[in-house]
Amino acid sequence: MESTKFSPITKLSKEEVDRKWWEIGDFFRRNSLWMLMYCTGCCAIELPPAMTSAYDMERLGMGPMATPRQADVLLVTGYLSLKTLRRLIYTYEQMSEPKYIVGFGSCTINGGIYHDSHVVINQLDQYIPVDSYVAGCMPNTEAVMNGFIDLMELIKNKKADGWKRYRDNYEWYKKNQIDSLGEVRTHDEFHD
Amino acid sequence: MTNSMTNIDFVTSLVEGQYPVNKKEVIDQYQMSFEVNKEDIHSILTSLKAEGWIQMSYLSAIDWIDENEFELVYIVFNWEKPVYVQIRTRLDRDNPTINTIMPIYPGSKYYEREAFEYFGIRFPGNPDFEKPLILEDWDDMPPLRKDFDPRAYSDAHFSKREYTETYVVTNGEESKQEKRNERKKRMLNFGKGGKK
Repeated sequence: MESTKFSPITKLSKEEVDRKWWEIGDFFRRNSLWMLMYCTGCCAIELPPAMTSAYDMERLGMGPMATPRQADVLLVTGYLSLKTLRRLIYTYEQMSEPKYIVGFGSCTINGGIYHDSHVVINQLDQYIPVDSYVAGCMPNTEAVMNGFIDLMELIKNKKADGWKRYRDNYEWYKKNQIDSLGEVRTHDEFHD
Repeated sequence: MTNSMTNIDFVTSLVEGQYPVNKKEVIDQYQMSFEVNKEDIHSILTSLKAEGWIQMSYLSAIDWIDENEFELVYIVFNWEKPVYVQIRTRLDRDNPTINTIMPIYPGSKYYEREAFEYFGIRFPGNPDFEKPLILEDWDDMPPLRKDFDPRAYSDAHFSKREYTETYVVTNGEESKQEKRNERKKRMLNFGKGGKK
C-alpha cells in the first residue's frame, strides 16, 4: 500500500539527483569555508584584520585550516616566485576536491610591480585555475572580505569550477607549468 | 686600548696600522668601512676576529660594471665594542675568484654560495660554493650582474597578460578623476597657506 503521508517520489535521473546533492553540498560548503593561507607576499598582511575582530571573517563561516587536505580555499596572497610556485602547485594538488583559489593583489593578476623580475611569474591562472581575484596593491580589507563573498556567490552560482577546469585541462596547465618552471617537482638539498 | 680611545679609533689603528688601506670611511660611531687589497682580506679578518669581531654579519657583493670590477663587502660585528666593520675589496670582473673565509667564519659558507649564485664569484676552499642555494634550476647567467636583463628573461619565460582595451569600472558611478585633478590643482595654488 502506498503511503498517504508523503507525496510519491518522482523518478529523477541520476544527473538530477547528483545536481541536487551538489546544491546541498555547495550550500554547506560555501557557508563553512576552510582556508589554507599561502602567505608569501605582502597581501598576507590583510588577513590578520580580516580574521580578527575588526572584520571578523568567522561571521562568514570562514576559518583557517592547518593542512591542505582538509582545506577548501587556497588563498594565494601576493607574488609568486618560481620556487614558491612549485610548492604552491604541490599544495594545490594535495587539496581534496572541490577546491577553490582566491588570488590576492595585482601580482597574481599581471605581475604587479614585479612584472619584469627574473623569478616572479606574471599570471597565476596560467599555472593553476583561479576562481576569484581580489585586485589592488595591496587590496583593502573591505575588498578582501568582498572577494570572499564573491567566492561564495560563485560557488552558489556553480561558477567556481576551477578544480574541474584543472582536471579537464590538466595537460594544458601542466605544459604551462613545465614551460616556465622546467620541472614541477620540488626538491632541495634539505629534503633530498 | 686606553680609555680615551673610541671604538672607531681602535679599529682604525688595528687595521691601518698593519695593512695598506685604499679608502677609509667612518659612517657613524657604530659603523665604518675599509677598502683593502684582495690579498689582505684573510689576515685582516683573522686579526679582527682575534680582537672580538666574532660575528660574521653579512657578505655582500656589488657589481661595478663600468670599472669592470666586483666589490665584496664583508661585515663583521663585535658585541663588546659595538662597531660594524665593513671590509671591502675589489675583484676582477672577468675572473672573480677569492679564497673562502670559511676557516675564519664558518657561517660564511652560505653567503659565499649566495654570492656565487647571484654574481658568479668563485670561492675556492668552500666545499660546495657551486651548489645552488636559492634559485632552483637556474639556466642563465647570474641574475644580479648588471648586464643581465631581467625584463628580457621575464618576457621569454613567463606569459604576460594582454589587455586589449583600457577602461575603468566605475560601478555605474561617475568617474571622480576630474574632480580629483581639480582638487590637486587647487592644492597646488594654495602656496604655503595656513598660519606662519
